[in-house]
Amino acid sequence: MEYLWKIVLLAAVLFILGLFASGLGNDSRNIPSPLIGRPASVFHAPALDDGPEISLESFRGRWVLVNFWGSWCVSCRHEHPYLLQLAKNTAKRSDFVMLGVDFKDTREGAKGFLQALGDPGYRQAFDPDQTIAIDWGVYGAPETYLVDPQGVVRYKQVGPLFNGWFEKIALPLMEPKHENR
Amino acid sequence: MKTGNPWIFLTGWLLAWFLTTLPGVASEKMEEPSEAMVRTIAKSLRCAVCQNQSVYESNSDLAKDMLGVIRSKVVAGESEYAIRDYFFQRYGDYIYLEPTTQGSNRLLWIGPFVALLVGALALLAALKKWRRPSSPIAPVTPADHSFKERLQRELKQIES
Repeated sequence: MEYLWKIVLLAAVLFILGLFASGLGNDSRNIPSPLIGRPASVFHAPALDDGPEISLESFRGRWVLVNFWGSWCVSCRHEHPYLLQLAKNTAKRSDFVMLGVDFKDTREGAKGFLQALGDPGYRQAFDPDQTIAIDWGVYGAPETYLVDPQGVVRYKQVGPLFNGWFEKIALPLMEPKHENR
Repeated sequence: MKTGNPWIFLTGWLLAWFLTTLPGVASEKMEEPSEAMVRTIAKSLRCAVCQNQSVYESNSDLAKDMLGVIRSKVVAGESEYAIRDYFFQRYGDYIYLEPTTQGSNRLLWIGPFVALLVGALALLAALKKWRRPSSPIAPVTPADHSFKERLQRELKQIES
């Protein structure tokens, strides 16, 4: 009986220590998104460049990478070269399109950003009061969503996209549906 | 005609001005009824970029815009539940300042009390064990009486 109690106590202590250890790796700023696997909120937003209105539904049938950014966001500057490169590399793909949402920003600020760091060429929606961003559960920048051809959110990247992100994360999600590629 | 001491006049005027512009007096007169609901909802939601501040208390841009979204939804006539759920659908459990009492969250609420109960029971068992005398006092036997008598006898012999 005494022996049993000792084992139970030891197991309980180890269990709690294990919980602590697994919690150490968690980033408290990284909130898991409940949107994965659910239909993305559709939006109709003015374009940053005063062009025609941007509607998410018009991209249905293609994978859409929706990148939330702002000229005020330092990490977006670091991410930008990769976005330029990714837009160039995927320009020929008919099943993939990129879309930017410039939120909590001014048109002048955002245009200045693109002029200084390069314009990746894809369409940019303008969301000054971040209603789209809140609708998408965004709480920081940059945040990037991968939406599948049916309009379902498949992945959320919190923080900048990194070199090789597309091959490592997006392609494995896209490939099963395009086995002939 | 003289209007008395100008200082008294000035002080009285300042006091009247001060009283009518007191924050409590001023804001309650200007607040719209829907604003109370906005405040209730905003106080129950966590600002997503702060660690432990409600949307209502936070000064962050995101919280201000979330407040704007809440306000427009309240004005549009949405219910408190619907608005809370809107944020829950997008930000998950995290958005509630007070965890809900549904699903696996029940474990969080009940867990500490269960642990307390188990601890109390264990302590009770331990206390009982500690209090039980390990060797009960042996009852007085006839053999002890004879031993006592012999002791008395020998003591008398020494004395005499």
